[in-house]
Amino acid sequence: MADAANVSGVLAHYESIDGTRRAIETLREAGFDDLEVFSPVMCPELEEALGIYSSPVRRWALIGGITGFTTANLLTIGTSLAYPLIGQGKPIISWPPFIVIMFELTILYTGLFAMFSWMVHAHRPKLKLSPAYRAVFSVDRWGIFVPVDARDRDRALEKVRETEAVEVEA
Amino acid sequence: MADHWDTEERGLTLADANRDIMRPIMVSSWRYWTLLAFVFALVVWGCIAWAWQIDQGLGVAGYSHPVMWAVYITSFVFWVGIAHSGTLISAILYLFRSGWRTTINRASEAMTIFAVMTAGLFPLIHLGRTWYFYWLIPYPSERFIWPNFKSPLVWDVFAVGTYFTISLLFWYTGMIPDLAAIRDRLRGWKSKVYGLFSVGWQGTVREWSHYRRAYLYMAAIATPLVLSVHSVVSWDFAMGIVPGWHSTIFAPYFVAGAIFSGMAMVITILVPMRWAFGLEDYITDYHLDNMSKLILLTSLIVAYSYAAEYFITYYSADPTEQASLFFRAHGSFQGPFWVMTFCNVIVPATLWFKKVRRSASAAFVVSIFVNIGMFYERYVIIVSSLAHEYEPYSWGFYRPSWVEISIIVGSFAWFFFWFLLFTKALPTISIAEVKEHLAHQGAHEHG
Repeated sequence: MADAANVSGVLAHYESIDGTRRAIETLREAGFDDLEVFSPVMCPELEEALGIYSSPVRRWALIGGITGFTTANLLTIGTSLAYPLIGQGKPIISWPPFIVIMFELTILYTGLFAMFSWMVHAHRPKLKLSPAYRAVFSVDRWGIFVPVDARDRDRALEKVRETEAVEVEA
Repeated sequence: MADHWDTEERGLTLADANRDIMRPIMVSSWRYWTLLAFVFALVVWGCIAWAWQIDQGLGVAGYSHPVMWAVYITSFVFWVGIAHSGTLISAILYLFRSGWRTTINRASEAMTIFAVMTAGLFPLIHLGRTWYFYWLIPYPSERFIWPNFKSPLVWDVFAVGTYFTISLLFWYTGMIPDLAAIRDRLRGWKSKVYGLFSVGWQGTVREWSHYRRAYLYMAAIATPLVLSVHSVVSWDFAMGIVPGWHSTIFAPYFVAGAIFSGMAMVITILVPMRWAFGLEDYITDYHLDNMSKLILLTSLIVAYSYAAEYFITYYSADPTEQASLFFRAHGSFQGPFWVMTFCNVIVPATLWFKKVRRSASAAFVVSIFVNIGMFYERYVIIVSSLAHEYEPYSWGFYRPSWVEISIIVGSFAWFFFWFLLFTKALPTISIAEVKEHLAHQGAHEHG
């Protein structure tokens, strides 16, 4: 068992997705719901084990798309009306060419909103890493951090030992 | 030969992926710096030629009536086309869950970014008075005059600008977990720099959850963007009444051509890259085979488009269109026309053979031919059409000057200069996606 003075809880290392998923289930069944799980790869199955089923990013993406479409309407129609000049024999408000601008700005704003919303909801950017984070979690190990105080530490430790942890820090 | 990416047979682990893909960042060689210096020298030469053109005026280019759009616009269209396959590979193949994209998407996306950066130079160069480029951007000027949104040239600004922004965000988002992995591997100031760009990524499942959705939505919106950008570029021409341009087939024809040339450029850069960095376990013959199949498919679409264009010209019985086509094949620009046909239709047909598709050197040679053919295709469409309009008054000839040739060479160097910097500073293969593939295959062994 490694010693980690800077960890105010129990940190367990795993070597596979399945092992991590089973450990999450065991710990949640034991009442430890506030888990922080580190993964070197994208694992939807771990999200499921943690009970994460949706993300507000999709709503922000939709809001971004609507904002972009509205902006394009204002830009094309508004500026045409502000300076009404017949060009190329087309009406002042000429939909077919304006649709191109509307399409592009809808896409642009959707992308920008999706990008910034995931950062906001993931609380990024951040300069300081969590004390529970270990460099191996970006290589080939999964980590589960159980934030517990001194009273619950032994019970958490006992539960973690029931799992397939290859290393435990407490 | 395997018909899949045989990671288990190759015994790859997650730790191997980290180490192998980061190797070019960790080690350095004099060969790399020599190549970079040579490429940079060509960029400088191109800049000198451009400075000369700015100082002397556009007269030093080979422009002469009636050919006032020439190799600069040819290069613009060529590079926007090259930019297409990056997003095709990263977005469309992602949505289709095509696992083989994993090891080629990062370099292809980088290629997209640098190709758009190169393409974006040419309207500025072509302007002559480069410093007035901002007139195309919608901003409230003191006279309240706005850009003409009915003009395809303004559509270009929005289409290419959006494409660049979304491609850059998509590329950067995909790279954040990798930047964190590099941060954890390095020490000192380098670790701090990578840490800054990794936005404090820790790979918590909550982070992945939001990230996964955002990446998926970006892939979803980038998909129609791939189809739209080159369609908009094609309308720069199709909206005009120039014989040889005014065609409804232009949008799909340009999109297919863009994917065709982009995939070829991916092979052109990946084959030397995998050799130089020893990435044969990651970019395998299986990957080359799949890329070659896409080239073959798009080559057939391009060939069909050529045939359809010629048939429509014949069937329309429009004498100016017919004269324009005849001029392409038999007039002053017949050389580029037949080079285009040979490189884009005949040479890719060799990819019907599995041996050619799975041979790195053969696929590389085919890709070079396609790159040449697609540059000539744009040259033929733009220059030969302008050189043979309705009346003898607007018939002429064009030959690029040394200034234009220098700028073109410089632009290729500019593209490769950025790509070389990319290979040294950033992971050329998506580490997180490769590890995801390995982890889900159960190939993970304790490193």
